[in-house]
Amino acid sequence: MNAIAARELLMVSILSHVAHVLQIEDLCRRFEALTALDHLTFEVPAGQVVGFLGPNGAGKTTTMRAIFGLTDLDAGTITWKGSVVGQAERRRFGYMPEERGLYPGMLVGEQLQYLGRLHGMTAIDASSATATWLDRLGIADRAGSKVEALSHGNQQRVQLVAALLHGPELLVLDEPLAGLDPSGIDVIGEVLAEQARSGCCVLFSSHQLDQVEDLCESVVIIDHGHLVVAGRVDDLASSGPRRLVVRVEGDRSASWADRVAGVTVSEVTGGEVRLVLDANVDSDAVLELARGAGRVTKFVFERRRLSELFREAVK
Amino acid sequence: MKFVVIALAVVVAAALKVGRRRRHRPTKRRAARSLSSSLSSDVGLIMAREVRERFRGRVLKVTTLFILIVVAAAIVIPVLHNGKAKPQEVGIVGTLSSSLRTTVSSSAKSADVTVHFVPESSVKKAKSDLRSGRINVAIVDGRELLVKSPLSSADNSSGAQLVRSVAENLGIAEAFQAAKLSPAQSETLKEAKALPITSVEAGKKNAAGGNASEATSLIGIILIFVMLNQYNTWILMGVMEEKSSRVIEVLLSAVRPIQLLTGKVLGIGLVALAQASLIVAFALILSKAVGSSLLHGSAPLVVVSTLVWLVLGYVFYCWVYAAAGSMVERQDQVQSLVLPLSLPMIFGYIMALTGASSGSPSALLKVLAYLPPTAPFAMPVLVGFRAVTWWEFLSSAIISVVCTIGIARVAATVYRRAILRTGSRVRLREVFNRTAR
Repeated sequence: MNAIAARELLMVSILSHVAHVLQIEDLCRRFEALTALDHLTFEVPAGQVVGFLGPNGAGKTTTMRAIFGLTDLDAGTITWKGSVVGQAERRRFGYMPEERGLYPGMLVGEQLQYLGRLHGMTAIDASSATATWLDRLGIADRAGSKVEALSHGNQQRVQLVAALLHGPELLVLDEPLAGLDPSGIDVIGEVLAEQARSGCCVLFSSHQLDQVEDLCESVVIIDHGHLVVAGRVDDLASSGPRRLVVRVEGDRSASWADRVAGVTVSEVTGGEVRLVLDANVDSDAVLELARGAGRVTKFVFERRRLSELFREAVK
Repeated sequence: MKFVVIALAVVVAAALKVGRRRRHRPTKRRAARSLSSSLSSDVGLIMAREVRERFRGRVLKVTTLFILIVVAAAIVIPVLHNGKAKPQEVGIVGTLSSSLRTTVSSSAKSADVTVHFVPESSVKKAKSDLRSGRINVAIVDGRELLVKSPLSSADNSSGAQLVRSVAENLGIAEAFQAAKLSPAQSETLKEAKALPITSVEAGKKNAAGGNASEATSLIGIILIFVMLNQYNTWILMGVMEEKSSRVIEVLLSAVRPIQLLTGKVLGIGLVALAQASLIVAFALILSKAVGSSLLHGSAPLVVVSTLVWLVLGYVFYCWVYAAAGSMVERQDQVQSLVLPLSLPMIFGYIMALTGASSGSPSALLKVLAYLPPTAPFAMPVLVGFRAVTWWEFLSSAIISVVCTIGIARVAATVYRRAILRTGSRVRLREVFNRTAR
């Protein structure tokens, strides 16, 4: 009995290690008066794009810098596949820092090859990977330009290539979408999904919670240096009470909804009202009331948005 | 001469290319290498980048060319000045006997000039020629000398020396005549020589090579100062560039701070050594070719010690400037840091310059020669004066190396803690204060 229990425990621990390759445990960091990380613990599964979300100043950048040893920790450990992250592990990670940085006067191609080789690539591999990635992101013709001569968007692309070049096992991107146009966001989303499919563990941060909902499979949401909620986006979004979006023609204030028992108004935007329904509320009754206020042009159930999830969690 | 310089440049370029290729080669069979070897190859990569970027930039080429031109001028101009001194025009009013003319010519030889006699019809004509500069001096009837402006006793120009010597010797010749000595007696008196002076202690200064080695150590000190300043600026700016462009976070996500720092210091050091060797080789070949006196006496020793102290000075200061560079990220922050850092260098430089031109080493200079920040300037001067023994030289070098190791450790700590701190200038106090980091 005991032997079986022990074996089960072992299996569980092996499975959990396989499932969660990056483990952040009990991280603490204080900067004088400010607490950046407050016993932060979470795990990142392999082969998934994980959104690391939270408002500005939540501690996302400090956590990411800690993964690369770029900030001192007061306490806590970071492990990769079960062993504490050190120099050898970090060489197999890719990092795109929040404040982008490249040598402004160096040529794009040479700079990328240099960074690739610092991650252990051979000269030949670094050169071919540079060509492939620059081509993939549509800036192959800029390989011979100095970085400072590139537009902001193209510098951003070069920075992304610098993180991807050496085929990292873990990709950590700090606010990769900041300052990108919609097509740039699409390209990043595509690349991240592709990396995750090939087995890479992708962690990217954003403070715009709803913008990344479609990009990631899982999210880790933090606030004031500690974990708020973590899980698969689908599970989190479909959990909790039902949400109803109703639009009544000519009614912009949606005052009819205030009178319904068991229904809370979440927000009213652009003539639409988002309602949170208690379990015992009959949606047909809500529809009737809406009809009483005017012609109903929209009446749909919706998933919980990440920003709503966050607001509810920190309430 | 041109060919020699071109050949030298080709050799340096070829050596660098081979070096680069060699650095590439081991990375091709990287499969089974250990972490430690990858760490050292990272330093190699960082070093290679520094070398490549320096050689690509225009700054290195321009400064090297500039220094070469200045060195060439310092070597060639004195030689030209000595070799092609214009003959002194000596105006003769009335007659001057051939024996007195010989006296004037031999006086000229002792003043290291040649003379050319110009007959003048009258004193008036001679005076106008003096004013117009057509003649340098006029001899009136072998009894009086006319010059344009009064001679100062401090004037050591060859013209002034000639005038003094001619005045003295013609005066003596006249006295001989007045004394009515026989020609044989006159000859004996003319051949009078000063008695030899022998010192009981061995001299420290080589009389023949003294001037040459002084000039060499002066040029050496100026070169050390200019080049150390240049290399320190490279280090400071190089570190600051990585911090201000924020590329530092990307780099440090893959390599350790100490690797980055070591690679940078070694890379720039290699370029510095190549530049310094080129300049010294150029100076040696040029002085040999034009027959400059710069390499006489103890001067070759001065050249060697200048090179040694350039290297020692670089390895000492590079850490200090790297640490300083990690504390700043904008030009305006640099200003307040650079002045206090360069004070020891400026002090050592000025003391060494005054010491080298004073003729004998002062006690202060002897002390400065053992302090690592000032030794690169003071020690070559002492070598020029032959005022150090080999073991004194060696012990100063050892003191410098030991202090460099200590400085490097502190600098590496400062660098590691300051390089990732952005915003305002990092203070040393903050670097060593745990909670502020």
